[in-house]
Amino acid sequence: MHKFLTVLKYELKEYFSNKTFVIITIFLAVAGLLGPFLPRVIDMSDFTGVKVVEKEEKVNEKDEKAKTFLYIDNVGFLSEDVLQAVFPDKTWKKADSIEALKTAVEEREAGAGFVVTGIDSYDYYVYNKSMTDTNQFAFDEVMKQFYRVNYCMEKGLDPEEFMGMLSAPIQANETILNKDTTSNFWYCYLLVIVVFMLIMLYGQMIAVAVTNEKSNRAIEVLVTSTTSNSLLFGKVIAGAIASLGQVAIILGALLCSYGMNREVWGKQLDMFLDIPTDVMIAFAFFGLGGYLFFAFLYGAMGALVSKTEDISKSTSGLMMVIMIVYMFSLIQLNNVDGTIIKVLSFLPISSYSTMFARIAMGTVATWEIILSFVILVASIVAVGVIGAKIYRMGTLRYGNPIKFSSALKDLKKSE
Amino acid sequence: MKLEVKDIHKSFGEKEVLHGINFSVESGKALGLLGRNGAGKTTTIRILMDVFHANSGEITMDGQKFIPANYQIGYLPEERGLYPKRTVIDQMVFLGCLRGLKAKQAKENAKRWLKRLEVSEYETKKLETLSKGNQQKVQLAATLVADPEIVILDEPFSGLDPVNSQILKDVVSELIADGKLVIFSSHQMSYVEEFCENIAIINQGEVVLEGNLHEIKKDYGKSRLMLTLADCAGEEAAKKVTAELSDLVAVEDIKKNVLVLALAEGKTRKDVMERLAKASLEVEHFGSFEPSLNDIFVAKVGEEAEKNA
Repeated sequence: MHKFLTVLKYELKEYFSNKTFVIITIFLAVAGLLGPFLPRVIDMSDFTGVKVVEKEEKVNEKDEKAKTFLYIDNVGFLSEDVLQAVFPDKTWKKADSIEALKTAVEEREAGAGFVVTGIDSYDYYVYNKSMTDTNQFAFDEVMKQFYRVNYCMEKGLDPEEFMGMLSAPIQANETILNKDTTSNFWYCYLLVIVVFMLIMLYGQMIAVAVTNEKSNRAIEVLVTSTTSNSLLFGKVIAGAIASLGQVAIILGALLCSYGMNREVWGKQLDMFLDIPTDVMIAFAFFGLGGYLFFAFLYGAMGALVSKTEDISKSTSGLMMVIMIVYMFSLIQLNNVDGTIIKVLSFLPISSYSTMFARIAMGTVATWEIILSFVILVASIVAVGVIGAKIYRMGTLRYGNPIKFSSALKDLKKSE
Repeated sequence: MKLEVKDIHKSFGEKEVLHGINFSVESGKALGLLGRNGAGKTTTIRILMDVFHANSGEITMDGQKFIPANYQIGYLPEERGLYPKRTVIDQMVFLGCLRGLKAKQAKENAKRWLKRLEVSEYETKKLETLSKGNQQKVQLAATLVADPEIVILDEPFSGLDPVNSQILKDVVSELIADGKLVIFSSHQMSYVEEFCENIAIINQGEVVLEGNLHEIKKDYGKSRLMLTLADCAGEEAAKKVTAELSDLVAVEDIKKNVLVLALAEGKTRKDVMERLAKASLEVEHFGSFEPSLNDIFVAKVGEEAEKNA
């Protein structure tokens, strides 16, 4: 235990004295802390729906022109009042001719132009159509309104009564008895991505650290000074503490800051950041478990090569498994009570994301959570011990990368 | 403490590389493991350190099975290396703690050994910034940081300049004087000759000669004499000696102006002295020949090579 703690302390010191690690952590934590305060400084009411900062009314001539919309009504049923009500920030003007309308739009004298050609048809003129252009959609609604009024008048119906009938209000009371998948989906998605990124980034770092010990020839001194279990467990657990510590600081800063600014965001980010405590606890246990499981495998993979440039060869199979599990987990988030996700939630390679998703969004019994976690812990210990044996076996095997299957065969033979 | 290595066999795949290694060494003495490159010295040491497992044979300490983890061992491997990006003191304290020391003790020891090896000025420097020789000295300091009772040094002199070699020689002599059990491998005979009371010559995975160095030298020099003539040397001297003493000795070797003579069977040193007194040879030096370790090594390994040819 003393030796394991010595390795753990030494490896942690390596992480915490790494300037890049410290700077990235501080930078992201500060960004997470300050980001949620943005609506207090910048007017983001278009997104949040909450007006905190008064927008400076500095409208220049160019903006003024862009807000001018032209129209030609060949049917004669448009009303400027209705247009103004549907497009409150635009100024509507009647154009003299189609040519004049087109020229005005082309020369940026007007933001857009509409030519009503029939009771159910119109032409829309715009110079550059942006990704967020909703003018056409809004004008469609205007046309529909006029069409309906026109219809009522032709048929001798009361337009107000008819409109009232079309938009009869329905009152619905919702009572969710278990989980609200709609609201839980996005933070679940976010947390699965966080664990995936941790595994990929830190797993690779652990593999590199192990390979470096072989390439700089320190490994022979190390394995004759302590056990390979102490070395690999110390290294992997130090990586886990450093990475989860980093995530905890960044996520903690973001969540606390968002908690303080939730109202000014109009609760718009709740779907990502209002994470219930039970889900966070499940994430902590299963996320850490999944991370450790793969980190030990990465450590073992690092011991199979003696040059850092060969690490990608050794870890490609493992990366493939992680990617497939990740993609499959994300796809299955839409069906958290399906058979496939149920099976995956008990496998150590996938329970870190699938059991966690089931807890957050599906129906899962307590015994299932406990069983899945026990399987995960047992697998971590098994992978850790096998990983340490591979690490020890690979100590003085320099040269070509050793295949994982050959390493397992050699281990079996040596026992 | 007495460490005994008994009949160690080791194979890598189908190929047996050690065919029954035997030797022993005690505290306060040093054993020199000698051999050509690829003879099996490093494999033997790695088996001692439990880096490799032997296929058969046993290693005992005072008659009990030797388990390296139960002893404080300072091991300097042939494949040297530490952490290039970490400071010297950091990694020495780390290794000291791994070998069971408290951090404070490890730091004190590290500073003491760095000072003794004259590299204390690099204490806070990253290892990669040091010269190769100084890195080697740091590695030796790291080997000794836990004040081990057993010291195993695999080719400790390789890569050191004469000044650093002298420092290392002094340190090894001190370790022996302190009663440590020292094993070191080398193919530089002069160093082995200087410290080692016992030697084991390994050739192609077998111990071809083992025992007390003084006894071995005596035994090798037993029927050999040395002769220097005042008026001639080399081939000319050899011709003269052969002409005068061919029934008593044969010229075995010529080392600069010294002739190494092998006594003929049944003849004694006295017989040669009597003949020399009567002969017309201008004798400058005459005496028993004491072979160097190098002579013994070349003779023994050469003999084995001839046998195998």
